[in-house]
Amino acid sequence: MEKLKVKKSPMQRAKMTLSVLVLILVAACSKVEGEAGHKQRVQDGSKIQIVSTIGMISDVVQEVGGTEVEVTGLMGPGVDPHLYKASQGDIQKLDDAEIIFYGGLHLEGKMTEIFEKLEKRKPTVAVSSNIDPSVLRSGADAGGSQYDPHIWFNVKHWVSATETIRDTLSSYDPANAKKYEENATKYIAQLNELDEEIKSRISEIPEAGRVLVTAHDAFGYFGDAYGVKVMGLQGISTAAEYGSKDVSKLRDYLVENKVKAVFVESSIPTKSMEAVIAGAKQMGHTVTIGGELYSDSMGEPGSDADTYIKMVRHNVNTIVEALK
Amino acid sequence: MTDFWIILTGTLVAASCGVLGCFLVLRKMAMVGDAISHSVLPGIAIAFLISSSRDSLLMLIGAAVFGLITVFLIQALQQGGLQSDASIGIVFTALFAIGVILISRNAANIDLDLDCVLFGEIAYVQWDTLIWNGYDLGPIAVWMLGGTFLIILAAIGLFYKQFKLCAFDPALAAALGIPVALFHYLLMGLVSLSTVASFESVGAILVVGMLIVPASTAYLLTDRLSVMLLYSILIGAISSAAGYYVAKWLDASIAGSMISVAGLLFLLAFLFSPLHGLIVRMRKRGRLKTVEAS
Repeated sequence: MEKLKVKKSPMQRAKMTLSVLVLILVAACSKVEGEAGHKQRVQDGSKIQIVSTIGMISDVVQEVGGTEVEVTGLMGPGVDPHLYKASQGDIQKLDDAEIIFYGGLHLEGKMTEIFEKLEKRKPTVAVSSNIDPSVLRSGADAGGSQYDPHIWFNVKHWVSATETIRDTLSSYDPANAKKYEENATKYIAQLNELDEEIKSRISEIPEAGRVLVTAHDAFGYFGDAYGVKVMGLQGISTAAEYGSKDVSKLRDYLVENKVKAVFVESSIPTKSMEAVIAGAKQMGHTVTIGGELYSDSMGEPGSDADTYIKMVRHNVNTIVEALK
Repeated sequence: MTDFWIILTGTLVAASCGVLGCFLVLRKMAMVGDAISHSVLPGIAIAFLISSSRDSLLMLIGAAVFGLITVFLIQALQQGGLQSDASIGIVFTALFAIGVILISRNAANIDLDLDCVLFGEIAYVQWDTLIWNGYDLGPIAVWMLGGTFLIILAAIGLFYKQFKLCAFDPALAAALGIPVALFHYLLMGLVSLSTVASFESVGAILVVGMLIVPASTAYLLTDRLSVMLLYSILIGAISSAAGYYVAKWLDASIAGSMISVAGLLFLLAFLFSPLHGLIVRMRKRGRLKTVEAS
């Protein structure tokens, strides 16, 4: 009997702790506040606090919002948005934000679900949300329900993202809607110019040589939009490993088509691509590394790729110089 | 409120893992949590192939099924005579490899990996709340982990004597007529349940760390299982709370900070434990030498 009592005491203590916990929990429950989707700006002279995920979105929000907004980006240069790990400070940033912009289409991985939840509390918008799914690239193996999230390399899609940002800002802050409209129109004109520029630059490359070989398949939209064949080792996911067959297949293709250069990127290690180049060399074909392309994130502030437009231009120049 | 929810979530993970971790450490199977964090990959791949969606619930079910398969296989191999570390290693690498093949064959163009679709992040738990009849009942993670903790507490509390004997002396337990294999499978089932549920809410590193570190620290501080269980929970809870504030101070990853604090507590126990600490042991050795010399 004595023995039993000793054994029971941790259980009893656990039970007590538990009931205290339950009490705290019940006390912590609160009534849900009203619809958050239609919140509007409080005009108190402070700037609209906006949080965005990738740098490319921050850049557009700054362009459209101008002096009315203060943009905080969660993911800095060189960060892979699929694998982003939050820090404690991010909680405050997301809590303080009046509007949140993210990429959507599962670009932010598991974090996407959190944005869907935050939508109930404050305007939380995927910049890809107004792009017609029929023009999105779908993973064939997903039965067409999962899409390639790297929309920014088709400038036309980024125009749609800009419009989404404009409309979100205008409905949150109708008083300044005209300002946002003007800024957006100006920016979209620049984007359209960029679009034309890319087309004319790509046409400098002989048609057979329009092959972009890169270690990360983030350039699918770029290839579709500007008539460049995109080949890669890895799939969309950074974690999917490439097979040895992929390496030899790519090597054979490079040798056969006398492709001059391949590209490495800012956020993926280059080892896999080095294996391909070494293989091609053994077969008597020299392939150079065509320089660094930016894929999932922009360059450091002050570099030649620290805005969306500069980043795209950097990529196009790098590609054209190496392949023409 | 944010601070409270995150610390509570961390503490619940620490409590579940702390209890189970004690038994795993005693059975020299502490790495089982890490094994599960890899071996559930085929589960999410198959769930995706069947449903073509990356919906959280489906991924969780797939992961749970493979979590159970993992612990079942580990236990079966071990009972077949293989060392526990080897059986853990074989099962998780084999299953992980199958997952990699499934993904590269069938979903190469889809962003499908554990970090993206399964592992949650403790920083976000307070936004994912359970809403019932217009009332915000607090984070889903707290309910899920609280429920898991209750199940573990009930199972261990009901069969405390049996679990204890199976962990320390399986041969004696068998001789006394306790179905040892059944309790091994039950324990491993609980481990699988709590790790997979926790992965979904708080990510991998926190779970794997909380399974091993607080239990190992407690192991150094006492020779009694009941006290070890309490210490393990307590150390886990302290690590959660202190780790959260360290993360706040450094603006760093919360799970990373919690486990770092746990690691620091372990180091303190390793050096200064009055029972098995390095310093005490060195002193004892010194004393022995003087006895020999005199």
